[in-house]
Amino acid sequence: MIEVTTDWYLTLASLLFSIGFIGMMIRKNALIMFMCIELMLNAVNLTFITASKHFGTIDAQVAVFFVLVVAAAEVVVGLAIIVSIFKKQETASVDILRSSKG
Amino acid sequence: MLDLILFAIPSLFVLAGALIVIFAKNPVHNSMGLVLTLASLAVVYITLNATFVAMVQMLVYAGAVMTLFLFVIMMIGVDKAEQTKEEIKGQTFLVLGTLILLGSLLAYVVINSGFKWDLWFPAVDYSIEGTPDLIASTLFTGWVFPFEVISILLIVAATAAIALAYDTKTRKDDD
Amino acid sequence: MEYILLAVVFIPLMVSIFLNSISSLLNERLTTFITINAALLSFSVSLLMFGALLLDKFKPISLEMYTWFPDPEIKFEFLLDGLSGTMMLLVTGLGLVIQIFSTSYMSGDPRYVKYFVYFNFFVFSMLLLVMSANFLVMFFGWELVGLSSYLLISFWSEKKKAAKAGSKAFILNRIGDFGFLIALMMILNTFDTFSFKKVFETTLLNQPENLDLIVVFLIIGAFGKSAQFPLFSWLPDAMEGPTPASALIHAATMVTAGVFMLVRISPLLQFSEISSILVISVGLLTALISAFAAINQDDIKKVLAYSTISQLGFMFIAIGAGAYVAAIFHLVTHAFFKALLFLGAGAVIHEMHHEQNIHKMGGLKKKMPMTAAMMGIGTLAISGIPPLAGFWSKDEILASTFAKGGIYYGFWALSLLAAFMTAFYMGRHWLLIFHKEPANNIDNIHEAPKMMTRPLLLLGIFSIFIGFINTPFFHGLEKVLHSTLSDVEITHLPEGIAVVILALISIGAGFTGLGMAYLIYIVDIFSYFKFEIPFLKEVRSLSSEVLYLNKVGHYLFVEIPKSFVRKVAVVIDGLVIDGFVNGVSNLFYKSSKTISVTQSGLVRNYVVYFGLFLLLLVSLFVATPLIVL
Repeated sequence: MIEVTTDWYLTLASLLFSIGFIGMMIRKNALIMFMCIELMLNAVNLTFITASKHFGTIDAQVAVFFVLVVAAAEVVVGLAIIVSIFKKQETASVDILRSSKG
Repeated sequence: MLDLILFAIPSLFVLAGALIVIFAKNPVHNSMGLVLTLASLAVVYITLNATFVAMVQMLVYAGAVMTLFLFVIMMIGVDKAEQTKEEIKGQTFLVLGTLILLGSLLAYVVINSGFKWDLWFPAVDYSIEGTPDLIASTLFTGWVFPFEVISILLIVAATAAIALAYDTKTRKDDD
Repeated sequence: MEYILLAVVFIPLMVSIFLNSISSLLNERLTTFITINAALLSFSVSLLMFGALLLDKFKPISLEMYTWFPDPEIKFEFLLDGLSGTMMLLVTGLGLVIQIFSTSYMSGDPRYVKYFVYFNFFVFSMLLLVMSANFLVMFFGWELVGLSSYLLISFWSEKKKAAKAGSKAFILNRIGDFGFLIALMMILNTFDTFSFKKVFETTLLNQPENLDLIVVFLIIGAFGKSAQFPLFSWLPDAMEGPTPASALIHAATMVTAGVFMLVRISPLLQFSEISSILVISVGLLTALISAFAAINQDDIKKVLAYSTISQLGFMFIAIGAGAYVAAIFHLVTHAFFKALLFLGAGAVIHEMHHEQNIHKMGGLKKKMPMTAAMMGIGTLAISGIPPLAGFWSKDEILASTFAKGGIYYGFWALSLLAAFMTAFYMGRHWLLIFHKEPANNIDNIHEAPKMMTRPLLLLGIFSIFIGFINTPFFHGLEKVLHSTLSDVEITHLPEGIAVVILALISIGAGFTGLGMAYLIYIVDIFSYFKFEIPFLKEVRSLSSEVLYLNKVGHYLFVEIPKSFVRKVAVVIDGLVIDGFVNGVSNLFYKSSKTISVTQSGLVRNYVVYFGLFLLLLVSLFVATPLIVL
């Protein structure tokens, strides 16, 4: 009988975060990078929910709502930026954006 | 046993969706993978007694946010296939190096302590239900101030999005 | 009674302030009226004070104005004794005469009022200097005469030479003042007071160890003010100022401040053998060098300037020989005949329309008989021809030096040489101006106005008779200075026949000098005998260039520091400081250039950096042992 403990959930969250991070590194499409960010945010959310169960407190779930809101705001602004960049450059690749080169 | 199944199957879907997100070529597929991940996570949340969060996850993330994603994907076109060839010099090495570091760190942790996470405190023996009732009473008592601040953040974000979109349009009209 | 002293000192200051504050309202006549009457008043009060002093057998009168500082006690105080009384009479009297002369000489100058403002300010400063009862007040006067001298030298500051000469005088004076200042500090440290009386009393009881040092620094101050070697080159340059001002400041009074000061500190000086030697040797050197330099000068005033330096050298010789009375005596007589010579030169310059080259004059005695006669008296007086003033004082100096014996015989011989040279160049000076065949057309030259000749006449009379105040038969000045020098060992004239022989020798030197000047410059004896003097040209240029001392000084103190500073500027500023600054900026520039390679501008690179540091952070957490509270 294997019991599903907190460790399992945390392992899942870390795996999810790692996948999201790898995606950030290897994909050059801005949209997909945003999706990877969503993956990482969800990994964090999962951690919050797990902690909520582990410590028996509801505050962690409230924090999840804030993360949700921040993610939504970020998506709105980020997508607006992507659209305006795309209008200028006809591509969503981040590699041609080098204006911040030192 | 039921616990294990309820954990394992959504978890597998979560990871599979995540992998689709990062490896699929077509942006629509990517977004579909993300939907899969988010939906499966909602199930995981339910197993963690966070039912309200799970519902919001389904509605806001898998619903609204993903719709926004798809809308943008459709707007900028799916046929512009992203070139998978690495163009940045040294990026491959950097990525591989980072991955190796990550792997070695993981290996070290696993060898040292297995999958046992040191959580400082043992799990509590009662369980709480993440009902709207409970969440609302916490959110609107102890968390009112962050709640108000986050509302300002949302307004700013909405304004920014409008400004970004509107600015380009008027400039084009002026041309 | 004592408070009348204040009137003497502060009348000139008040006149100066008054004239300055309403200068825009004044025309020349009003200015003349105010300043001459004030000078007359000042002189009368001086006479009154001196008379009172005389009746009281020269018992010093002192006046404390107020205590400036309680501990150590520094007071603002004045002292009138024989010495300062003599100087007071000299300054106010000559000030009056020269101001009368100035009203004519300066008339028409756009800054007429300003001239008298400066002039009265100078008289005030000089009186402050001589009437002071302690070293500090004396130092105030000392500095203020330097300032007013600067103002008067560069009075015509639109002339670049005058402005430069003023700065030079000021700077060279500063070197001397520096010595004075150090001496002041040492005096305060040693004696805990500035008062002359207390310092002298302490010294008489037991001499402090650093007495030599104090005196030497005071002497350096005197050298600067009295234009002694090597600080004398400012005085010839100072001739750029108005001639009457030169007469008062750079001949009669200010430059003698050093002599006055040394006589004032004679109670200290007598205990310092080395200082006496220093004073006499520098005085002798100065007397010889400047007498030599005066021989081949072309400028009518420069001759007189070098002559002044030379005569100041004589005074220093007297001080070094311990003949303080003789020094003051020569100071007084020199003040009269040198003022006379300067004013005469001023009259000549005025009538020659500011032509100062003596080779372009000549034959003026027919055109300006009064001036010629008076300058002739001055020339005879300075040459030491009896019974004129210069003879008595110079002879007393020479005889006193001789009386000291030992090494002083040598000093005496060299002084005699200087006296001979004095007669020679002064003879040349007068003959070239007044006697020689005129070089230019001088038909429209005529006698100077009465306002000029009358002061000349007055001074001429004084130049003849002032010598009788202290003859071997009547020691008048010695009695005047008796209370001042009561504790000082004074070298007296030798007794008996020796003094007559010495007098005859010095008269001989004077006559020989004048005669040789006549033979060489008028009869032209050398070309008459077709005699070629070897190295004549070299000697001449040596004389007119003052043994090249100015050039050497210029090279040593101007050119070398200049090039040194330039090198310093290049090396220190250019290489070290600029190098450091540029190096720092280059360092940052290059290092940031290098580091900025990582700032590729590529988002995904940044993601990798972010990941790497995240991993680093996690590794730190893993590696750190947990602390459970």
